[in-house]
Amino acid sequence: MATTERPQGQAIVDRAYEFLVNNRVWKSIFRIGYPNTPRNQMLAVATNVFLHLHPTRVHRTHVKITHTYCLGGLSFFLFLGLTVTGVLLMFYYVPSVERAYADMQALQTDVRFGMMLRNTHRWMAHGMVITVMLHMMRVFYTGAYKPPREFNWVVGVILLVLTLLLSFTGYLLPWDELAFWAITVGTNMIGSDPILGEVNQFVMIGGFEVGQNALIRFYTLHVIGLPLAAAIFMSVHFWRIRRDGGLARPL
Amino acid sequence: MVAEAPAPASSRQRGAMPSVRPRRQREEELLVWPDLVFVEFIAALIFTITFVALAILINAPLQDRANPANTPNPSKAPWYFLNLQELLIHMHPALAGVIVPTVFLVLLAAVPYFDTSNEEQGRWLATPRAWPNMIVGMIVGFVGTWVLIVYDSSKHIVLYERFSVGSEAFRVWPPFMAEENVRTWPETLNWLKSVRALQTDINWHNDLTGVPIGETFIRTDLLGLPRGSIQWNVPAWIVEQAIPIGIMIGLPILLSLVAWRTGLARTRRDHMILLISGWFASWLVLTVAGTYFRGAGLELLWPWDVYPAES
Ligand code: HEM
Repeated sequence: MATTERPQGQAIVDRAYEFLVNNRVWKSIFRIGYPNTPRNQMLAVATNVFLHLHPTRVHRTHVKITHTYCLGGLSFFLFLGLTVTGVLLMFYYVPSVERAYADMQALQTDVRFGMMLRNTHRWMAHGMVITVMLHMMRVFYTGAYKPPREFNWVVGVILLVLTLLLSFTGYLLPWDELAFWAITVGTNMIGSDPILGEVNQFVMIGGFEVGQNALIRFYTLHVIGLPLAAAIFMSVHFWRIRRDGGLARPL
Repeated sequence: MVAEAPAPASSRQRGAMPSVRPRRQREEELLVWPDLVFVEFIAALIFTITFVALAILINAPLQDRANPANTPNPSKAPWYFLNLQELLIHMHPALAGVIVPTVFLVLLAAVPYFDTSNEEQGRWLATPRAWPNMIVGMIVGFVGTWVLIVYDSSKHIVLYERFSVGSEAFRVWPPFMAEENVRTWPETLNWLKSVRALQTDINWHNDLTGVPIGETFIRTDLLGLPRGSIQWNVPAWIVEQAIPIGIMIGLPILLSLVAWRTGLARTRRDHMILLISGWFASWLVLTVAGTYFRGAGLELLWPWDVYPAES
């Protein structure tokens, strides 16, 4: 590859590149060389399970930041970030009324980077609620919900509800005053419906007031039930974007 | 990397068969690697840095351990539900807590089934009249919601009395604020103090505050059960249900009608933009009011009174 006319530095880079890419280990992982030719670039997207969420080519207007402001992608990114930080938080947290609050204190004071871990998870959670709503507004104002994407808008509304529920169930877990009363106020609102309210509230918090049963229900929903549901609906969401021929553009 | 692209031709084909998908134009396409992956990478990087910085700078709150015996005042839901908590102040709890959000979500999900045209999809506010409809919708939603909140919290009384009694400046000008016109809110208008005042400041006849529905209509005794006795409190029903429902359904319809008559909104997309923008603005006002303007006892206050500067 490297020819004698090339400057010295280039030759070194090329040699390093050859060394890195032209070997059995790299090829066994990525199957293709470094994506520096159009063919390899398309293969890079098509043969990688994560990149394969994308098509191999997109219309040029959709790459412009001002078309989507990346808001859907950022919502997904925050979801992934919340999953990672959430798993780490689970190492230190026991969902019991006796321990939960003490665990939070210990996390903040005794665990290295514990406070930062908790902060990251919390701000990302708020951030996701905001990006999802902004994403919805961008989809609305670009008219991207129109046929054939009607149902993907509905899937989106379900994702919005799941996002809010994820955030709401997480809110109780620190078991401090803020958590307890926010969830009490929130579930009382549901309980105020004269017909099914009391039943719904009872099922949600597993009793007549927020206590151990509510904590374990919210915890289970927060760490497994709702994330799983959200992941499923996100798969549907992304799949449908692909099936509908990418993002909407004028006919 | 960039596929050789001729000057972007108009991609619209007016008059053609209404097709659901735009024709694929390979010349207009870019490769996902590197063009899109690069943008995504930068976006992810910026967000990572932002959130790490946030996490270093601002600590997540951790108050005292939960104590069911000690109710803080005010006690508030998480911020994204404070819009509903704000509604709760103004109407029957079943409406605010369950029915309004449910109906709202169902209607939101149904938007694509109302607005079925696919004109100008995939472009920011590209239909004719999109911008004016959005702006009008947002202004009406914003101002309207604030006016309703202020009215129902009796703050127009405070405004009225401050301007007619309290402030020297207003005694001089305008003339109707002159000394001899200074007064407090007239007794005869007490029923205009808030929506609730319609119930409490009018002498409702007893027949209306306890209409015995159960005994006349619901004959549980025919089933061998004790005779039900439900008392229908008409004024409470008007205040908690009829007026809020009327406002929430009536005002959007009125807005749409006016926009239609004045030619502001002509297509369904116009009406959707108008109404949903109104909703967004109204939702924002409710959230902000619930978060920053509700103090102890959920009274409507200025933010600096809700969160007094810590000493
Ligand atoms: C967890 C929440 C969500 C995630 C992770 C998500 C993710 C995404 C992503 C990555 C895209 C690709 C384009 C873009 O980034 O804008 C997209 C498009 C789309 N989303 Fe979402 N979304 C979420 C919630 C919603 C909501 C709440 C709605 C609407 C109510 C919605 C409706 C749509 C529609 C209709 C498209 C297609 C847009 C087009 O064709 O231009 N999504 N979503």
